[in-house]
Amino acid sequence: MTTARPYSGVRILDLTRELGGYATRLFADLGAEVVRVEPPEGASDRRRPPPLPGLNSDVPGGAPVAFLAANKASVTLDLGEEAGLATFAALARTAQILAIEPGPDQPDVTAEALAANPALVVAIFSHFGLGGPHSGWLGSDLVTQAAGGLAWLSGTPDEAPLRVAGEQTPMVASLYGAVAMGIALWDAELRGRGHVIDVSAQECIAHSLQNAVQVYDLEKRISRRGGEGTRDCSEDMFRCKDGWVFLAAPPTLGISWRQLVAWMAEAGHPEASRLGEPKWLDRPWRNTAPAKAEFRAIFESFLADRTQLDLTEEALRRKVVLSPVARISETVKDPQLVYRNYFVEVPHPALGRNLTFPGAPFRLSRPVWHIDRPAPAVGQDNDRILAGL
Amino acid sequence: MRQDILRGIRFADFTWAGAGPFSTKIFSDFGAEVIKIESVTRPDSVRTGGPFAGGRPGMDRSGYFASRNTGKQSLTLNLKSEEGRAIARDLIARADVVSNNFGPGAMERLGFSYDDVRAIRPDIVYLGMPMYGDDGPRAELLGVGMTISAVTGLMWLTGYGEGRSIGPGTHYPDHAANPYHAAFAVMAALRHRRRTGEGMKIDLAQVESTINMIGPSYVEYSGTGIEPAITGNRSRWHAPHNIFRCRGEDAWVAITVMADAQWPALCAALGLGALAAEPGLAGAAGRVAAVGRIEAAIARAVAERDGEELAAALQQAGVPAAPVQSARELIDRDPQLRARGYWQRIDHPEMGETGFTSPPYRFDGERVTLARPPLLGEHTDAVLRDTLGYPEERIAALREAGVLQ
Repeated sequence: MTTARPYSGVRILDLTRELGGYATRLFADLGAEVVRVEPPEGASDRRRPPPLPGLNSDVPGGAPVAFLAANKASVTLDLGEEAGLATFAALARTAQILAIEPGPDQPDVTAEALAANPALVVAIFSHFGLGGPHSGWLGSDLVTQAAGGLAWLSGTPDEAPLRVAGEQTPMVASLYGAVAMGIALWDAELRGRGHVIDVSAQECIAHSLQNAVQVYDLEKRISRRGGEGTRDCSEDMFRCKDGWVFLAAPPTLGISWRQLVAWMAEAGHPEASRLGEPKWLDRPWRNTAPAKAEFRAIFESFLADRTQLDLTEEALRRKVVLSPVARISETVKDPQLVYRNYFVEVPHPALGRNLTFPGAPFRLSRPVWHIDRPAPAVGQDNDRILAGL
Repeated sequence: MRQDILRGIRFADFTWAGAGPFSTKIFSDFGAEVIKIESVTRPDSVRTGGPFAGGRPGMDRSGYFASRNTGKQSLTLNLKSEEGRAIARDLIARADVVSNNFGPGAMERLGFSYDDVRAIRPDIVYLGMPMYGDDGPRAELLGVGMTISAVTGLMWLTGYGEGRSIGPGTHYPDHAANPYHAAFAVMAALRHRRRTGEGMKIDLAQVESTINMIGPSYVEYSGTGIEPAITGNRSRWHAPHNIFRCRGEDAWVAITVMADAQWPALCAALGLGALAAEPGLAGAAGRVAAVGRIEAAIARAVAERDGEELAAALQQAGVPAAPVQSARELIDRDPQLRARGYWQRIDHPEMGETGFTSPPYRFDGERVTLARPPLLGEHTDAVLRDTLGYPEERIAALREAGVLQ
C-alpha cells in the first residue's frame, strides 16, 4: 500500500507557462498528479532561459523547466483542433484543478473545462488580472515588479530603481495562487462548490511590499530605495576580509547593538569606544547619510582582518544579528543546510546526470514530500494518461 | 464578499511580528477562527512599530499590525504564569492548528513543543517557522528578513551588476516567500488530516523556503558550475530590458522587449527608425550585444516623456512596459488596481477608516472582503467564555490575578 500524501488523489491540469508553474509544482511535491497539457511541439516555457549546457535542443528545456516541471507529467494535445479539445474535455472530467495562463501561444480553454466539469477549481494566472483597463497589458518580470511597486523599493537613491533578482514575479504569483487553490479545493471537496480564481501578478507583487502601502496610506510618507531616513546605519552589507557580511544592529534590536559594541571593545579594537558616544542612541540621526558613512568606516575597519566564517561563528555565540552574504556556490556548502541534508539530487535524463535542487520549502514530520521524477519530456505520459480516458 | 470556506477550523496562533501573522491571516480572511495569543506586557513588535494612523503611536494604531492580522481575534494571556499556560492548553485542546514563528526552543520552554501539544491534541497541525530550522549548528543564529536574503544568495544576486550587490530594499522573504509557503503547508496538512485523521508538524525553516524562490538559479548553477550572473534590470537574453528615467522627479519607466516582433514596434513608438533599420538588431542576440547603444537611444527618447502615458502607448504597440510605481502611485493613480477593487477601506474604532490590500486575486469574480484587525485583548472574555466555557466568576478571578495580561 502506498502512503497517503496530502494531495494524493488530486489531478491538476497544468496549462501554465510563465506565472503559475511553481504553484502546481508545490502540489506535485505533496502527491498531486500534475499533468502538463502541451502543444505537440512542447509548451513555450521549454524555451525559457537559462539553458542547460550539453543539451542540443531546446526540448526538454532549460533550468526553469527542470525546476518547475519536476514531479509533473506531460501530455500533448492540439487545442486548436476539435479532436484535441474533445480529449481535453474528457481529461477535465478526471481533474479537480485547472491552472491556466491564456495567451497568444495558447487558446483559453477555461469555458470548455468548466462545461465538462463544473466542480473544477480553476486558477487563471495573468500579469494584470482579468477585467480593468490594463487587462490586456503585457507583463514581464521587470515590468510587473515595476507596476506592482517592488522595483521602487530597491536600489540606491542615485541610480534607477532595481528589481529583486531571480524572476520573483512568477514565484510570488505562484505562491499566492497555490494557497488560494488549496483553499478552493477544500470547498470543492467538502461542499461540491467549484471556484474560479483570477490571480493578478501585479496585485501579488503589490501585496508583498513590507509596510510601504500602510506608510503612505496612514502617514502619507513614501518609502524609498536605499532606506535614506528610514533604515538604520547598521542594517546593510559590509566588507570583511574575504567577502561581505550582513549586519542588523538597530536600536530596536538592542541586544545586537550592545553585543556588537561589547565584542569590538573586548577585541581591543581602537575604534570601539567611538560607538559608545551618546549620539549612537539618537535613532533619527542613525538613519542619516553621515551616520551611515561613519558607522561603515568604523565597522569595516573592525571587519578588515576577519573572515566571514569567523565573524559568523562569533555572531552566533554573541547573539549579534550578523551573517555571511553568500553566493550560491557558498550556500550549497552552508554548514547548517549541509547538516540538515537540505539539497536533493534529481536526475536529468537528457543530461545523463544528477542536478542539485533546493530541498523542501517546509519539513513535514511525515515522509510525504518528495521529488519522484524529473521534468517530463514532451508527451512522455500520452499513453498512460490519454489512453485511459 | 465575506468568505467562510474555512469556517470550523480554529487556530491557536502564537505568531507575532511580520512573517508568521501574514501566514495565518489568509485563514481568517477565508473564515477560519484564528485566535491570536498576545501579551500586554510584551506586545507584538509590529503593534509598537509604525506606521501609525495619523502618525500618532498607539497599541491599536499600527498599520503594519493591521495589515497582517485582519479578521483575527486577540486573546491576551500572561504565558509566564502557570494559569496563563493552562488557558493556552485549554485552547490548544480545542484547536486544529497551533502556529508560531519563535526561535528554536521558545515553544519548548513554554511547554508547547510539538510533543507537548500532541499529548493534548493528537491530530494537531503544528506550524513552526524558525529562521534556520529547529536544529543544527546555525539554528540559533539570530536574524531578520534581510539575513535570510543574505544567506540564501538573494542579496548577492540582487544588484546593478557584478561586484555591485545591494540586496532587496525590504525584508523581502518575510512578505511572501515564508508566510505563503507556510500557509500552503498548513492547508495541505489540513487536507491530509481530513482524509487520514493524522496531524503533522511543519518545520518551515525560512532560509530553506526562501531558497526555493530562486530555485531556477540553483539548478542553473548545478547545471553549469557557474555562479548565476548579476544582471540588475537587464537580461542576458532580452534587450532592451531596463528601467529608464522619464519626466518628473524620480520618475522611471520599465521597458522590456521579450520577443523580436516587439522591437520594431518599440522603435516605431519612440521614433527610433534608424535602429529598427539595422539588420543586426533584428534578433535578440544582436540587441544584447549592442545593449549600451540601444539603451542610450531609448534614454534620450523617453527622458521628456510622461512615464504613465509612455507605458500606455508602448502597451498599445504591443511592448511590455509600465511606470515604476511607488505606494503613492499604486493607491492614488493605478487605474487597474482601482478598477479591480484591489483596495479595501475598513472602519476601525481606533484608526478610523483605513486602507487594506485585498488578497491578490478575485475569487469567483469578487473580492474576499476583509474584517478589521483586533484591538489588543479585544476577544479575551469572549474566547474564555464562549470557546472555553469558563464561567464569568472564573474569568473575573483570572483578570484579578493578572493572568489575562
